[in-house]
Amino acid sequence: MNKFYIITRYSFRRSVWTILGWGIPLMLLGIITIPFYDLVAENERQLRPVLESLKPLVKTFIGGEEAEQIFTPQGFISLRYFAFLPVILGIYGSVSGSGLLAADEERGILDFVLAHPVSRGQFFWGRVIAFTFSLSCIIGLGWLGLWIGVAKAGSMNFPTFQLLLPYLSVFAVTWFFACFSLALSMCVPSRSSAAMISGIVVLGGYIITTLSKAIKGLESWAVFSPLTYFQSNAMTGLELVPFFKLLLVAFFLLFLARTGFGLRDIRVAGDGGWKLPFIRGS
Amino acid sequence: MNDKESDLAIHVDNLSKSYGSFLALKGIDLTVCRGEVFGFLGPNGAGKTTAIRCMLDLIRPDSGTVSVLGRDPQSDPVAVRQHCGYLPGELRLDENTSVHSVLEFLRELRGGGKDCQRRAKELAEQLDLNVRSKIKNLSKGNKQKVGIIAAFMHCPDLLLLDEPTSGLDPLIQQTVLEMVKESRRSGATVFFSSHVLAEVQAIADRVAIIREGQIVEVGKTSSLLSGRAWRMKVIFAENTQIFAEKIEALPGILLDAMSSDGRELKLIVDGEMDELIKALAGYHVESIETERPDLEEIFLSYYGEVSERDYLEKSK
Repeated sequence: MNKFYIITRYSFRRSVWTILGWGIPLMLLGIITIPFYDLVAENERQLRPVLESLKPLVKTFIGGEEAEQIFTPQGFISLRYFAFLPVILGIYGSVSGSGLLAADEERGILDFVLAHPVSRGQFFWGRVIAFTFSLSCIIGLGWLGLWIGVAKAGSMNFPTFQLLLPYLSVFAVTWFFACFSLALSMCVPSRSSAAMISGIVVLGGYIITTLSKAIKGLESWAVFSPLTYFQSNAMTGLELVPFFKLLLVAFFLLFLARTGFGLRDIRVAGDGGWKLPFIRGS
Repeated sequence: MNDKESDLAIHVDNLSKSYGSFLALKGIDLTVCRGEVFGFLGPNGAGKTTAIRCMLDLIRPDSGTVSVLGRDPQSDPVAVRQHCGYLPGELRLDENTSVHSVLEFLRELRGGGKDCQRRAKELAEQLDLNVRSKIKNLSKGNKQKVGIIAAFMHCPDLLLLDEPTSGLDPLIQQTVLEMVKESRRSGATVFFSSHVLAEVQAIADRVAIIREGQIVEVGKTSSLLSGRAWRMKVIFAENTQIFAEKIEALPGILLDAMSSDGRELKLIVDGEMDELIKALAGYHVESIETERPDLEEIFLSYYGEVSERDYLEKSK
C-alpha cells in the first residue's frame, strides 16, 4: 500500500475530533444566524435610517459601503455570516498548519515514525492532504449549516451551488493561513511561535482590510493582507483572480515548507532554539 | 561496493555533527560487521544517540560518511530504514491510540504482511503486553515494550537499539536480551547502546566506548576484558611492610592499598603474574583473591577522575 496513502489515512483519522470540534459549531452558527434575516427584512424600514445615519468609520465595522446590502438575502449572508468566517477559520488554519509537523516533532513522535521506511516527502504530503480533507469536512459541515439555515429562513431561496461559492473563498483563505504557519513552523523554533505569528497576521490582516475601506492611507497596505482577497459576497459570483492569487501564494509557501522539512534535522523532542546571534549570545 | 564493504553492516567514517556551538560527534570512525552484536557505550551526551540518528537520516552530519547495509542513509533513507529496526532512547508514542493501532500503522508503513502481524502478536505475548490498551494508560516499561515490538516485528537485518532495556523489569530485560541473541542467531546485526554494562558484556561481540563525541576504545568484548589488569588481594600471616616496598620494583605490579596492620595488600597486576608468585613464595600467605575487571570498570576507567589507566601509565 502506498505510504503516502497510509500517512494520509492515519493523519485524517487522528483529526476526526478536530473536524467535529470546529465543524459542528460552524454548522450551528449557520443554523442559528441565517433565519434572523427574516427579522431584519421585516424591520428594514426602522433599521435603514439608523444605518444611514452612522459615520463612515463606524459603518466600516458593519460592512462599510456594503452595509446597506444587509437588507438583501445575499448581503445578509455575506455580512452577518461570511464576513467573520476567515478570522475564525484563519485561526484554525494557523493552529493546524503550525502543528502539522511541528506538534509531533515537539512531542517526540516524529523521530520514531520517520525512522520507519517512509520518505520525508511522503510524510509531508500525506499530512498536507489529510489536513486538506479535514478542512473540506469542516467547510462541508459549515455549508450544511448554512443550507439548513437558508431552508429555515422563509424569505430565502438559493440553489445549493450558490451557497458553496463563498466557501471556496473561505477554503482558499484558511488553506493559505495553514500553509503560512506550516512554513513558519519549519523556520521558527517552536510550533507555538509559528501559530502566534500566523495568528497576528490573521487578526492584523482583518483589521487592515476592514479599515482600508474607510482610511485611504491603508489601501496600499491592504494588498499584503490575505483577507483582502477573501470574497464574502461570492454568492453573486466568485472572482477567480483573487481566489487563485491566494492559492498560488499558498502553494509557494507549501513548497518552502516542504524544502525546509527535507533539509532540516528532526529533533528528538521539544522546542528548537533561535539561532540569531544576539539572542544566542545573551 | 567491494567485498569488504559488503561484509559491513555499518561503516562510519570521520563523522562529525554539531548542534550550534556544541560538537556532539568529533570525527568518529566505526565499523560493524554483519551478524555481530555491537555494544555502544557512553554516558548521557557522549554522542551515542546522535550517531544512531545519523545512520537513519533523522539528522544530517556536518562532515564524514555513513553507510548502513551498504547504502548511504542520506541518498537512500527509505531503503535503509526498510531493513532496520529502531528503538529510540526516549520513545514517545501517540498517546490517544491503542497499542494495536500503533503497531498496525508501523506495520503498514513497513509493508509488512501477515507474518509481521503474527510476529508482533507473538512478541506482545512474550513481553506480556496487552495490545488493546491505550498508550496513555501504559507505564514507561510497557511503552518501551511497544517500541521493542516495533523494532523486532519485521525481523530486520539491522537492529539499532538505543537503551533497549531502559524502564523494563529484570525478567523482561532478560527476555529482550534473549530476543537480541535470537536475532543474531538468525543472521541479524545488532547495534545497541546501553548504560547497563553487564548486559553489554553478556551479549556484545564487540564494544565501542564513546566519550565526548570521540571513540576512545573499540574492540572485542573478550579482548577488552582479557587485556586489562587483574586486581589481587593478598592476606599475609604477618606484617609484610618489607614485601610492600619490594613490590614496587616488580614490573607491571602496583600496590593499590595496604591495611594499617600491613597484613592485607591490594595489588593491580598489569603484567606477568609469574614474578609476583615467585616473590610471594618467600612469605606466609593466608589467602589470595584475584579478580578480572568487568566492562563497567573498563568503562569507568575512561570516565573516572583518576583512572586505573592513568594511574598505571603515570607509574610506568
